[in-house]
Amino acid sequence: MSYITLAHGNGGRLMRELIDEVFAPPLNSPLLDTGADAVALPIDTANHEIMLTTDGFTVSPLEFPGGDIGSLAVNGTVNDLAVAGATPLYLSLAVIIEEGFALETLRRIVQSIANAAAAAGVQVVCGDTKVVPRGQGGGIYITTTGIGQRSASLAPAIHNIRDGDAILVSGPVGDHGIAVMLAREQFGLRGDVRSDCRSVLTLAQALLPLFGLRFMRDPTRGGLATVLNEISLATGFGAVIDESAVPVRESVRSVCEILGYDPLYLACEGQIVAVVAPESATEALRIWRSTDRGHDARIIGRVTSAHRQVIQTTGIGGQRVIEELEDDPLPRIC
Amino acid sequence: MPGPHDHAKSWLTRIAALPRTGKVRILNVCGGHERTITHSGMRTALPDDIELIPGPGCPVCICPEEDIYDAIQLALNEDVMLVAFGDMLRVPVNVPKREPRSLEQAKAAGAGIQPIATPAAAAAIARAHPDRQVVFFAAGFETTMAPVAAMLAEGVPDNLSVLLSGRLTWPAVAMLLDSGEAAFDALVAPGHVATVMGADEWQFVPQQHGLPCAVAGFTPASLLAAFHSILGQLHRRQPALDNCYPESVTAGGNSLAKSVLARVMRVTDAKWRGIGMIPASGFTLQPAYSAHDARRRFISKTTAANNPAKEARKRIGEMPPGCDCAAVVLGKISPTQCALYGRACTPRDPVGPCMVSDEGACRIWWANGMRADATGRKPDIDAARA
Repeated sequence: MSYITLAHGNGGRLMRELIDEVFAPPLNSPLLDTGADAVALPIDTANHEIMLTTDGFTVSPLEFPGGDIGSLAVNGTVNDLAVAGATPLYLSLAVIIEEGFALETLRRIVQSIANAAAAAGVQVVCGDTKVVPRGQGGGIYITTTGIGQRSASLAPAIHNIRDGDAILVSGPVGDHGIAVMLAREQFGLRGDVRSDCRSVLTLAQALLPLFGLRFMRDPTRGGLATVLNEISLATGFGAVIDESAVPVRESVRSVCEILGYDPLYLACEGQIVAVVAPESATEALRIWRSTDRGHDARIIGRVTSAHRQVIQTTGIGGQRVIEELEDDPLPRIC
Repeated sequence: MPGPHDHAKSWLTRIAALPRTGKVRILNVCGGHERTITHSGMRTALPDDIELIPGPGCPVCICPEEDIYDAIQLALNEDVMLVAFGDMLRVPVNVPKREPRSLEQAKAAGAGIQPIATPAAAAAIARAHPDRQVVFFAAGFETTMAPVAAMLAEGVPDNLSVLLSGRLTWPAVAMLLDSGEAAFDALVAPGHVATVMGADEWQFVPQQHGLPCAVAGFTPASLLAAFHSILGQLHRRQPALDNCYPESVTAGGNSLAKSVLARVMRVTDAKWRGIGMIPASGFTLQPAYSAHDARRRFISKTTAANNPAKEARKRIGEMPPGCDCAAVVLGKISPTQCALYGRACTPRDPVGPCMVSDEGACRIWWANGMRADATGRKPDIDAARA
């Protein structure tokens, strides 16, 4: 058995073997019963709200420097729970695999799922496997649903944001977008940019007890610019961002210059944008910088009621408006 | 500790200290320049009497509509893989509603089309697919034509052909100045083009037309140095050609690149979309390379005789109805003065090519928040009006 066949999705013996031999052992979750129809989950509902989120994952290539679709599928869902103030507990895992998919690649992806889940302290407790005919899928698609618990008293939310609040980012932006783009080797460019794909749980939980924390979000598709525009749209406030304060790796910046991309619009998979009360900004920065993943955290701007747009103060002292992303970036001619 | 923008800031201070000579309109002819200007918020940082006008610096914007139509038809009707620079994919052509109107739509309809970022990628794709015909839709200015020529001179696989749509920048500026309709007082010459072709190509601006001219690079500091030079020339009433990008540009350019370019391509009269024929402004392949000419290999098969729809097409070569891209490209109006800008024409649903390309003035302005405000020269920031 070295390739996935349609028989692996037919509900019979091959499928059971696939689940029991390829999926279950690395995931190593005590609650995972591959023979059961549903799973009972212990959750402390007396002191917590239950938080639920779901996300589907497609990426090309499936494996890239710094991650793969497996780590992406775990961290994407874990991070959505984490920035909402929840502690992620359980994940479901649904995979759609294309006929002909190499079993060895599948094993690597499942191991990556297991590693990412262990790192974030979540258990994969149920799953589903389907196989589609060759040519009808991009290798493998993954959907994860995550359940977490949250203290009702610690509930950062976009509507808590006030005029004058400080905006922070936990580290360099654009790494994931550029790493995946380079891994496609489509544009004749090579580089050593690694995806920042990781759990942001440590970063989020470090900030959660901070009095003055208003809101957190992980800037994935659409990047930092999109999060800032979402804040503006939801609150009616504008934002002012200092270009020279936004951390961008030099390697990411140079690829952006060649292809005409703006790093503010590129996906991150392991960063947080946080909004905090102005008097808590320095403390928030100190907290993040004292974690092992937040050394490059910066205060990048503030919320304002003076206008309703996202304005960037440029390095030369000019201003420009950071608009919502219109369409997928394409490389330009020269 | 010196910051990365100190240089630019010191040029801004020096510009502010210059004696004012009244309103000055400075045209740029490179989309890269316009991007730097808009991206850095330069218009908001410069004195109000300096007007920066985007000009004919977007190869996608002026690429003949017929060439894009040919590329679309070729990709749809022949068994080829067509590769093109990414921002070419979304440019709409004038076809009846149900037909694919851009390479992107043709791709969605099943045509083999792939975006690339460098000419070398075209050859690499052809080598990787020896059993397929690969057509490189090569649109661009001298900066793109030089590497295309180098690629052909080095030798490419037989299965690669080139649908060439190359243009020279200076003839468009010369045409504009000769027409007497030029709406600018000075010119910033394109740094990348001048790196290849030499700064001296732009001597005609001060010598024949008495306008100040400076070659600039692509950092805010280099552009501001060029503006400072131009304002000084105006003040002294001594128009000249200044090279403000000496780290890359010489008077004569890159002689090796120029000789390869001349060996592979020859200069010919050429159409510019919405503008018309400009003498000696285009490139065509030299006879020695005609075996790799996609027009010879494929297009002749899809000419009028085989494809009656082609010549019955309306507005061949034109901009779409109501679209002012041609006036924008020539610097006669600003993007925000086009009636379609931000209304019928946005990056999501572009009407004209200037809203498609990252080199296009409309796209650059829109992406940086320049809305259809009263002046249209600066971003439409609420606070700026308060």
